[in-house]
This record gives sequence, structure tokens and C-alpha cells, in this order.
Amino acid sequence: MLKIENLHVRVAGKEILKGLSLEVNAGEMHAIMGPNGAGKSTLGNVLAGREGYEVTQGSVVYNGQNLLALEPEQRAAEGMFLAFQYPVEIPGVNNTYFLRAALNAQRKHRGESELDSMQFLKLVREKLAVLHLKDELLHRAVNEGFSGGEKKRNEIFQMALLEPALAILDETDSGLDIDALKMVADGVNAMRNPKRAFLVITHYQRLLDYIVPDFVHVLADGRIVESGDKALALQLEAHGYAWVGERHVPGQVGAGAA
Amino acid sequence: MAAAAQARDLLEELGRGDARAREESWRYSKMALRALSQQEFVAAYTQAALPDALRARFDWPQTQGRRVVFINGAFSEAHSDVTQVGAAVTVGESAGNTYSLRIDGDIDQSLHVVYISVPSAQPSRWQVNVAVAMVSGRASVVEQFLGADGIGVLGCVSRRIDLADSTSLDLVSLCELPESASLYRLVDVRAAAKSALRSTHVVLGGRLQRLDMQVELAGEQAHLESRGVFALRGREHADTQLDVRHVARDTTCDILWRGVADQRARGIFHGAITVAQGADGADAQLSNKNLLLSPLAEIDTQPVLEIYADEVKAAHGATVGQIDERALFYLRSRGIACVDAKRLLVGAFCDVALDRIAQPWLREHIAGLLAPRVGGENS
Repeated sequence: MLKIENLHVRVAGKEILKGLSLEVNAGEMHAIMGPNGAGKSTLGNVLAGREGYEVTQGSVVYNGQNLLALEPEQRAAEGMFLAFQYPVEIPGVNNTYFLRAALNAQRKHRGESELDSMQFLKLVREKLAVLHLKDELLHRAVNEGFSGGEKKRNEIFQMALLEPALAILDETDSGLDIDALKMVADGVNAMRNPKRAFLVITHYQRLLDYIVPDFVHVLADGRIVESGDKALALQLEAHGYAWVGERHVPGQVGAGAA
Repeated sequence: MAAAAQARDLLEELGRGDARAREESWRYSKMALRALSQQEFVAAYTQAALPDALRARFDWPQTQGRRVVFINGAFSEAHSDVTQVGAAVTVGESAGNTYSLRIDGDIDQSLHVVYISVPSAQPSRWQVNVAVAMVSGRASVVEQFLGADGIGVLGCVSRRIDLADSTSLDLVSLCELPESASLYRLVDVRAAAKSALRSTHVVLGGRLQRLDMQVELAGEQAHLESRGVFALRGREHADTQLDVRHVARDTTCDILWRGVADQRARGIFHGAITVAQGADGADAQLSNKNLLLSPLAEIDTQPVLEIYADEVKAAHGATVGQIDERALFYLRSRGIACVDAKRLLVGAFCDVALDRIAQPWLREHIAGLLAPRVGGENS
């Protein structure tokens, strides 16, 4: 589904990703862990198509297409979803209106019929229940006045509604209390299926107690330095990221998973 | 210098006798004004035929029977229809292009006043004076300024609005001009005790359009609420000057304007609030935010607050910025096309200043007028 090879990315003239390789197949749950400044969020932003990230080398192929040539809205329509680390507040744009516009734009792109407001509301109510989100949030402006936890749950709610093929969760666990974390994990687990893949970016092992990954990768200094199964996350928790650094000779590039 | 003198002469002819003192207020529109003043204008033809396309833009079923139409500054018998206005409203005419509108009692449905510029074979000019007296009750007026494209027309509408004690006037003012037309609007408002003026201005188009609105909050607890949006493109130039004076105790004003300029358009907003000595208990709020949709567009905003009283609550803020790239990316990352995402963001930005319009049909009409102007296709 997604194949990243030797990806080098510069941000504001500084090289952040330095030869990252990773392969994600349908049905897999990948966790990317790593210390601050390793390039975790850069990876999410590059994949979603944010401006200001200059790819100097390498390739990203998504379902046989050159992902880097697509506009952000095309990537979304092709099934890619980024849950933002810091969801943006958009005053004046109604949450329901925004979601319906987004879903219908994607459906139109795929040649499917657009949903009318009744069909859309029915779908919304189904998805809301899973995340224990209040209806009231739908009538407000996008993320405006939402608490930190509400914003993150709203991201997962959007994911549930848009039903992407590849979901990237950028530190969705940060700033969440344990109850909210469980709700988010429930939302994600409910969506796991053999056709859908996840890339979960996180600092801490805690989230992985609830969302159990098939693969764990350690991102350090712009590349994947170690890959393993869920046991790797536990080892990291016990020893810290410095432990990975000690185990690797400088300059050695970790192999991609799968 | 000759050009400056010509510009002053034009202002004096248009009814701003103290033009020299006001020159500072024309700072950003100086060149546009000079260009106008160097043109030879003939008197606009007041019996000009009204193009059907223009008629369709104001012939709303909602205001049938309560409509006054001026063509090139003259009352149009043929297009006005005041059969439904009721006994509370009197429309009068006196010499020298001067008309009066007297409202004495509550009016349930909006009165509709339309000012139309129809061009002729050479540049032409018209002028009209209107005195509005709110004697009692509450009323709602929708005014429209329209023009047909062609050889430039310069219109000047000078109005005096008097609000008697405890009266209330809701005013929605839509100005949608072609890029060839110019319009100078002078509005002098005097608000007596416990009266309220709630106005929403929508400013679109124009080679040069200028709105000078002066409001004197003369009686205790008089209130002004001013909302407004300008949305400009091409080489349109719109200059809005608000001048609010708190003279009496416990007077309040709440000013909220939004501006958008695309392509090579130029927008100017000047909001001055003066709280005179003795006007204690005054509350003055001014917010003006603007968006530039193109690197060649320009917006100048200037809030001015002068306070001579002791107990006053006042706040003002003005900004000029660009579309929030983070918000734009967020919308696009969910599948919304760039052009649609921009339209959504700019539309929401303008909507904030339109929330006081009570009539749903009018809000819809305005949304339709704004839609092509908040597109961002060209940026």
C-alpha cells in the first residue's frame, strides 16, 4: 500500500529526514516511536502533503502512484488521512458543514454519489456513539473552543467518518487523560480491518497498551534505526531511546519492516 | 497643485465644504479622487431608461409595494411603488434634489430604497440629498446602490438621519457597483436619548467609492451598532470612513468590519471614535480585520480612539493579514479542493460581520453577492 524508500526531507534548509525507508501493507498497524526532534511529525506532514517540506531524495509510492505528486486533497480522496498533532481551530466554519463538504468532495472524486443532509446525519450519529462525543460539538465551529481531548477525539471521529485506507495518527495520545486515551484507542481498534492500514506516531509506549501494533519502528535522527514487533516498544519503555543509540554503529541504516 | 485644487473643488461641490481640513482623510484615495476631478462630467440624464438586467437586481418580491427608486439622483415615478408602506411612512420631495423620509410608528416590513446609476454617452454626474427622520417607533430599511457598466458615472448621496428619543432603525446598505462607477456617500446621523441605529454595510465594486459616516450619539444611552464588509477585486477602490462621537452619558457603540481585497484592489478603513468630555459611562468597541488575497492588493486600516471623559470602556483592534495556511491545509487534508477551502475560509471571515441581518432572504442574497468575490481563484 505504502512504500517509502530512502526519503530525504529538508525543512527551512535543515535536513530532517535522512534516508527513511518503510513499507506498510493493508491490514497492518505500524507504530513509529522516537525521541523529540527525530522527524516523526515531519514524516506525517510530508505524507499528507503539507507545504514547506522539500523532498530532496527518495520516493513515496502509494497504491502504485507517486504520492509526492498529488495535492493534499487528492491524497485525502485516495484514502489517506492525517490525524493532526495540533488540530487547527477554524472560526466561523461549522463542523458539520465542513465534514459533509469533505466527505462529499472525496465521494465525488471516487465517482460515488454525494450524501444529502439526512443521509449524512444518520452516518454522523452512528460514528459519534463510538467515540462518546457530544452532538453539540457538531454545531460549533471546527475545533473552536474544544478542549485538548475533544480536539483529538474530533480527529478520530473525522477518521471514522471518512473511512480512510491509510490513517496516520500524529501523536494523537499527547495531552490525553487515560479515559480519553481509551476512547481514542477504542475508536481506532473498531476501525481495524484487513483493508485498512495505520501508522501511529507516538512518544510513549502507553498508547500501544491499547492499540496493539504489528510492527514497531524506532525513528532517530531522520531514519528508522530499529524495527521489531510490540516487544520492542516495551524494551524502549524500560531502557529509553538512548539504549537504541548505543546498539547502533553511527551511519548504519535500519532496514524497513515487512 | 492644480490637480489638488481640482480635487478640493470637487469635494466642495459634493457637499464637503471643509474639504481642506479633511484632506488627511483622503490620503489613501488622493490619486483616485484626482483622476476623477480631472474628468469633465455632464449632468446625468434623470429620465434614463432602466436596463432590465438592473431592474432584476432590486425587484424583490419581499419589498414589493414598499420601494422607492432613484435613477441618477431623481425620484423615479415609474419604478417606485409605495402602495404598501402604510400610514407611518411619508415620502416627500422638495426643490434641489432633496427628498425626505419620515417614519412615525412601528414598521413591520422593510422599506427598500434603491439608488441607480445609468451611464450615458459621456461621463456624467448626479447628486441627491435625503433626510430621514425617525420620529417614533422602530423601522427597518434596506438600501441598495446599483449601477450599469459603461461610461463612468459619479453619484453623490448625502443623507441626514435623525433618530428621535427611543426610536430604533435597522439599516442594511448594499452597494454593488461596476468597476466604472464612482459613488460618494455622506451619512450624518444624530441619535437622541435611548435611540439605536443598527447598520450593516456591504461594499462591493466601484472605481472609487467612498463612505463617510458620521454618527453623533447625542442623547443618553444612544447606541450605534455598525457592521460592515468590503470585498474588492480587479482595480476596485473603496474607502470607508467612520466617525463616531460620544457626546452624552452612557452612550455605546459597537463597530465590527471585515475587509477582503483580491487582485489589484484597494480597500481603506478608518474608524474614529471620540468620547467627549462629560460623556462618562460610554462604551466603545471597534474591531476591523482584513484579508489580502493577492500580493498586489492593498488594505489600509486605521482605528483612532480619542477619549476626553473619565469613566469610559473602550477597546479597538485592527489587523491586515492573509489566509491562515494552517487552516487551509487542514481543510485540504480532509479532501476539500484548494479553491473551495479558500472560499470557505474567506466566507466565514466575512460572515462574522453579517450576523445581525434579520431577514433570511437578504442574508442569502448577500451570500450570493459575496460568493464570486471570496473565491481566491486568482491568488
